[in-house]
Amino acid sequence: MSTAASPLLSPDLIAQLERLELVSRKVFRGRMKGERRSKRKGQSVEFADFRNYVAGDDLRFIDWNTYARLDRLFLKMFLEEEDLHFYALIDASTSMDFGDPTKLSHAKQLAAALGYIGLVRGDRVRIETLGQPARERAPVLRGRASLWRMLAHLDTIQAGQEGGLTEGVKNFCLRNSGKGIVVLISDLMDKAGYQDALRYLLAQRMDAYIIHVLSAEELDPAIKGDLRLVDSEDDDVAEVTVSAPLMARYKKTLAAFLEGAKDFCSRRGMTYLSASTQVPVERLVTSYLRRRGLVR
Amino acid sequence: MFPNNWSDPLSSLPETGLGLPFWGPITWGQIVWAGVLTVPPLIVLLYFLKLKRQPLEVPSTYLWHKSIEDLHVNSIWQRLRRSLLLFLQLLLVALVLLALAGPAWRGTELPGNRFVFLIDNSASMSATDAPPSRLEEAKRRVGELIDQMKSGDTAMIVSFSDVARVEQSFTDNRKLLRHRLASIRQTQRPTSWSEALKVASGLVNPGQSRDAPITEDPETTRAELFIFSDGRFADVKDFSFGNLNPTYVPIGDPAAPNVAITAFGTRRREDKPDMLQAFGRVENFGPKPARVEVELYLNETLAEADDVKAVEVPPGEAQGVAFDLEMIDTGVLKLKLGQADPLEVDNQAWAAVNKPRRTKVLLVAPEASDRPGRPGNEPLWYALTTGRAAELADVTSQTPAWLSTPEYRKAAAGGLFDLMIFDRCAPPAEESKPVLPQSNTWFIGSLPPGAGWTADPKVDVPQIIDTERGHPLMQLAEVSDVLIAEATPLKLPPGATSLIDSSSGPLLAIAPRDSYEDLVLAFELVGTDRVGSNWHVRLSFPLFVMDLLTYFGGRHDPLATGSVRPGQPVNLRTDTPAAELSVVTPSGQTVAIRRGKLDTFLFAGTDQTGIYEVRRGPDAIERFAVNLFDAVESDIKPRPEIKAGHVAVAGKPALQPKRREGWKWLVLAAFGVLLFEWYIYNRRVYL
Repeated sequence: MSTAASPLLSPDLIAQLERLELVSRKVFRGRMKGERRSKRKGQSVEFADFRNYVAGDDLRFIDWNTYARLDRLFLKMFLEEEDLHFYALIDASTSMDFGDPTKLSHAKQLAAALGYIGLVRGDRVRIETLGQPARERAPVLRGRASLWRMLAHLDTIQAGQEGGLTEGVKNFCLRNSGKGIVVLISDLMDKAGYQDALRYLLAQRMDAYIIHVLSAEELDPAIKGDLRLVDSEDDDVAEVTVSAPLMARYKKTLAAFLEGAKDFCSRRGMTYLSASTQVPVERLVTSYLRRRGLVR
Repeated sequence: MFPNNWSDPLSSLPETGLGLPFWGPITWGQIVWAGVLTVPPLIVLLYFLKLKRQPLEVPSTYLWHKSIEDLHVNSIWQRLRRSLLLFLQLLLVALVLLALAGPAWRGTELPGNRFVFLIDNSASMSATDAPPSRLEEAKRRVGELIDQMKSGDTAMIVSFSDVARVEQSFTDNRKLLRHRLASIRQTQRPTSWSEALKVASGLVNPGQSRDAPITEDPETTRAELFIFSDGRFADVKDFSFGNLNPTYVPIGDPAAPNVAITAFGTRRREDKPDMLQAFGRVENFGPKPARVEVELYLNETLAEADDVKAVEVPPGEAQGVAFDLEMIDTGVLKLKLGQADPLEVDNQAWAAVNKPRRTKVLLVAPEASDRPGRPGNEPLWYALTTGRAAELADVTSQTPAWLSTPEYRKAAAGGLFDLMIFDRCAPPAEESKPVLPQSNTWFIGSLPPGAGWTADPKVDVPQIIDTERGHPLMQLAEVSDVLIAEATPLKLPPGATSLIDSSSGPLLAIAPRDSYEDLVLAFELVGTDRVGSNWHVRLSFPLFVMDLLTYFGGRHDPLATGSVRPGQPVNLRTDTPAAELSVVTPSGQTVAIRRGKLDTFLFAGTDQTGIYEVRRGPDAIERFAVNLFDAVESDIKPRPEIKAGHVAVAGKPALQPKRREGWKWLVLAAFGVLLFEWYIYNRRVYL
C-alpha cells in the first residue's frame, strides 16, 4: 500500500523524453490540427494529389501553373497534419499495489512518460483506469502546459479499483470510440483471462500496446514453507508447500503465462512488452518501447 | 495414524522399586522415560499444527493455482506422503524408544584393556593336528583377539620357546600388532615358560623393576595375560602373576597321536669291539598303540638288510631299537620313523660319527719319592694309562714346579689340554692373569684358586652318605664302600653340584667355569705320608676315571658324540689355530664363526634339527647332530591346565560371553530413518 516515493517524472527523464515522439503504425483522423499527417487532405505544406476542379472549390488551391500549361483547372491537394489520440489505460486493481516499487506506481510512471511525449508533440492525451465508472471520462490533455494537470490526474489514481479486466476495457472502448494509440498497462492477472479484454481493444481498431507489468515477488517469489496464499482481490486461497520443485513448477507456469500473452498479442497485431518493476521506466521507454516502435 | 502398539515401551519400563509412594524419590530413569514418552504425542500434535499454514497475501493466486493444479491430480499421493512422513516420524520415535529399552543379546568380548599375548612357538607347536599347524592356529586366534580390541586398548606380543622374545611391546597400533604377529616363526626348540612369564610380568608389574614408580595405579597397570600354547612345558615355581590376569588357551587336539624318537646313539659293542651298535628309543605319546617302522640310514642310504625294524609301542610307553653295524670311521647316521604323525620334527634323529681324537690329559703331581720321573700318585697314573684309557686319552705328567714356568702359562692360556689334573697342588694365583687354565680341571686334595671354592677344616673319617647318581661322572661309581682317612669338606661356589656328600659336607663337587668345569675332590687319593683313602682299591675308581675321560673328552669320542638340543649353543674346538670356521646348517646355509674370547668357537645357530658340518676352509673337520630328544615336547597332548607358582590356570576360550548392547544399532537405524524422512520431506512434491 505504499505510495510511490519517486516522482512520476524526473528531470532527467523529461530531458530524454523531449526528443521522443509517439508513433502510430496506423494513420488516424484527429480532432484538431496537429503535427501528424492525416488521411484528410487539408492545409499543409506537404503536397498530396491533384483533382479536377469542381464548382465551389476554394480558388486558392487551384494550380495555376497547370492551368496555364493545360488550360484546365486542377485543384492542388495537400496532406492535412493532425493530432494523435493517445490513451493510457492503467490497471489500478488491488493486485497492482504489490512490489517495490509497486506495479501501479510503475504503471503510472510509464503512463506519465508516454503521456509527456504526447503532450510535447501536441497529441491528445487521455489517461484512464480500468476501474473507473463507465460514464466518467478522464480529462483530455493537450500541449506541454498540460503536464501538471496530467501529473495531478495520475496522482489521484489509487489502487483498489476493482472490476474485471474485460469489464474495464469494455467500458473504455465504449467511452472512447475514436481511433488512436492505446497503451494498456496491467499485470493481466485476471482469473477470467485477459483474452476477451484484448479482443475488445482489437475491435476498436486502435493501435494497441500491452505493457505487462510484473513485480519481483511474482517473477521470483521469495517465499518458502507451508503457506496459505490469499488472493488480494478475491480472497481466494491457495494452500501450497513451497519447495524447490514447486518453485520450479511455478516458474514454468509463469513463463508459460508470459509466453501465452505475448503469443496472443503478436498474432493479433498488438505489441506486447513484459516489464518488470525492477527495470527503470527510463530504460523501458528509451530502449524497450523504442525497439517495439511505440516511440521514436 | 497413531500406531496401536505405541504403549509397548511402557511395558519395558524399568522397575521403579516396590512399595515406593508415587511421590517417592524420582530416579533419573523415570525422568528420562517420562520425557521420552511425551515425544510421540508431541509429534502428532506438531503434525496437526503443521496443517495450519501460515497465511500470506499475494497479488494473485492465479499462477499458484495453475502451478499446483497438476499436483491436485495426484492428491492421493499427497495424502499418502503426509501419512508417510508421520509414519516415518513415529517409526523414528519407536526406534529411539526401543534403543532406550536397552535390548541386548549374547555375544563375546575381550575383557580388559591391556593385553599380553604369549605365543608358544616351540617344537611341539609345529604339530599339524590343528591345521595348518598349532602355531598358525594360535596366531589366528590372537588375530581374532586383536580384531576385538577396542580403541585405546594396548597389547604386547611375546613369543616363547626356551627363550622369550618380545615381538612387540605395548602398543595400540593394531596394524603393527598384526604385522608382528604374522612375523612369528616356528622354531624347533624346547619350551621354557618361565622366561616368557618374567618378560611379561616385568613389563606389567611395577616394583619389579627399579625404575617403576611405586605409586602406580593398579588399575592402569592391570593386564590380561593370554597364553596360547599346548602347555607342554614345566610348571614354573616361585612366580606371582601380580597384576597379570592369566588366561590359558590350549591349542591342539588332546587325542592327537605322536610317535617320537627320544634318543638315538651309537656305541661299540662290548662283545665285538669291531662292531658298532646304534640304538634308538621310540616313544608313543598317542592314545592308541602304534606300530612303526624304524629305518636306519648311513649317509642317507639304508645300509644293511635289517635296517628297517618294526616295533609295537603301547600308548604312553617306550620301546628301544638296536641296529648292528660295521665299525665306521666317519659318517652320518639317521634314524627315521616310517609313519607320519602330526609332529614331524621328532620323527627323525641324527647321529654324527667323527674321526677319533684322543683326549689330552695332563697330570700335575709331586714326583714319586721312590721312582724319580714318575708322578707320585700311582693309583691314578695306573688308572689313566690302562689300555682302554690309552685309546681315549693321551696322558702326560708334570711336576708342580712346572706350574710356575712360562710353558704352563702358554699351555693354560692356549687350552692345550682337555683335562688338567692337579694332585695336591694348584696353579699359582697371579693377579691380572688367568689363574686357571682354559681347560677342564680336577683338583685332588687342593682347591682351585680364586674361583670361589673354600673348604672346612680337616675332619677325620667322614662317612659318605649320598652320591649324585644323575651326573654322568657318578653313574657307575659305587662309592659307599670307600673309606676316607681325612678330608676338608667343601664349601661350594654358586652353580656347583655336589657329587659325593658326606656326613661332614660335600667331598666331590663340580662347578662350571666359563665353558669348562672344575671338579674338586676334598680328600687326597694318595697322601703325602700315608694313604688318604681306599678308593683306589675299589672297583669304582677305575670306572670313575674312565667316566672322567669320557665326560671331559667325550666330545671327541667318535661314537658317543652327544646330541645337541635345538637352540643350545655349541662350543667347537679345533686342534690347529684357525681364525675362522664355517658351519653348514641342515638347510645348506653356511655360517662363519670366529674364534671367541675363550679360544673356542661358539656356534649358537642350532635352531634346526639335523646334521651340522663344521668346516675349516673347504674341509669338513667335524659334524654334530641337533635332535629334539625332548619327551616333553613330543608329548603333544595339550595340557588342560598349567601352573605357575601356586596358581593353576585352567584352559578356557579367550573370549568371554558378554551382553552385547543393541542400542547403538537402533540409534543408527533411527538416524537412517531420519535421513530418509528428510529426503522425503524435500522431495515430497513428487510424492
